Amino acid sequence: MIPDDLDDEAAGFRATGPGPDAWRTALNRFVAVIPHTRELGLEVVSVTPPNVTMRLPWRDELLGDTTRGLVHGGVLTMLLDTVCGSAVLCSLPAPEVCPTLDLRVDHYRPALARLPIMARARVLRVTESIVFTEGILWQEPERPIARGTGNFVRLGSRNTPPGFGEALFSGVDDHAG
Amino acid sequence: MQDDFHDVTWLTKTRAEGDVASWLARLPYARFIGISASPDGEGNGLIYRLEPHEYNVGNVLLPAIHGGVVAAFMETAGTLDLMLAAREPRLPRIIDFSIDYLRTARVVPTHARCTLLREGRRLANVKVTAWQANEEKPVATARLHFVLSTPEDPSG
Repeated sequence: MIPDDLDDEAAGFRATGPGPDAWRTALNRFVAVIPHTRELGLEVVSVTPPNVTMRLPWRDELLGDTTRGLVHGGVLTMLLDTVCGSAVLCSLPAPEVCPTLDLRVDHYRPALARLPIMARARVLRVTESIVFTEGILWQEPERPIARGTGNFVRLGSRNTPPGFGEALFSGVDDHAG
Repeated sequence: MQDDFHDVTWLTKTRAEGDVASWLARLPYARFIGISASPDGEGNGLIYRLEPHEYNVGNVLLPAIHGGVVAAFMETAGTLDLMLAAREPRLPRIIDFSIDYLRTARVVPTHARCTLLREGRRLANVKVTAWQANEEKPVATARLHFVLSTPEDPSG
């Protein structure tokens, strides 16, 4: 699944920059600015750059099978896209706008109603143009419900709106972690 | 009848009527993001539609629809279209899903069309293409693998 022994430096990830607490605050702001994730109340639980853990609280709109009480598969795809995209942000020397190039989701078992869904993503490799990520979802530990592989395009600082990175961290103490 | 997907009588009836609206009404997340379906004007199956709700936005700077919402839309379209196109009433369960993003999905209605590429005894492969203003310029293509199961017969 997600290898823990992957060398972050070999992956092209730079360990400088804001610490975990500053990133958690910044990414909580990021998902609160995205209308869809704000509407769903998505929370950033912890960040150890470039690993991100999120929690999607339960609400009835997430259902796909009301009879059996199962989550809609599309919710899982949306969540993997969001958590992987957030990991991308904290893997770069400075935040850039990085749209999803492609995403592949394997469905291991159904997600159950009335439980929050946990999501964790990490960055496997950063190149000049692409960031490679993977993410995993679960409700009970050791029982993954879906796994995603997402590749994101780096638009670079030239195509990132001025103030994008600053807006994430404004008012956040950079050394708070 | 239980009026749901697991009731073979209801599934057979709604399928014969092409009543995808009744199916969508029973999918809360699909209803939440605003999915509907209508016949293609030229009689080539169904065209699915995603409403550009404000809360479907994923990037406020561009602005653009959330890529994950576009994916959820295409996954729903692929699932329902397979239920219609399959040889008999069966319930598809997703094995895996893959999406390629080709263009930014603007905050306007998004459409999708599905093709059943293979229906085996147990497995199916469905291709989905999504576009906005122009079908020749897709915003995303996706493909899905499904396991097909037979719904319960309440009388048996």
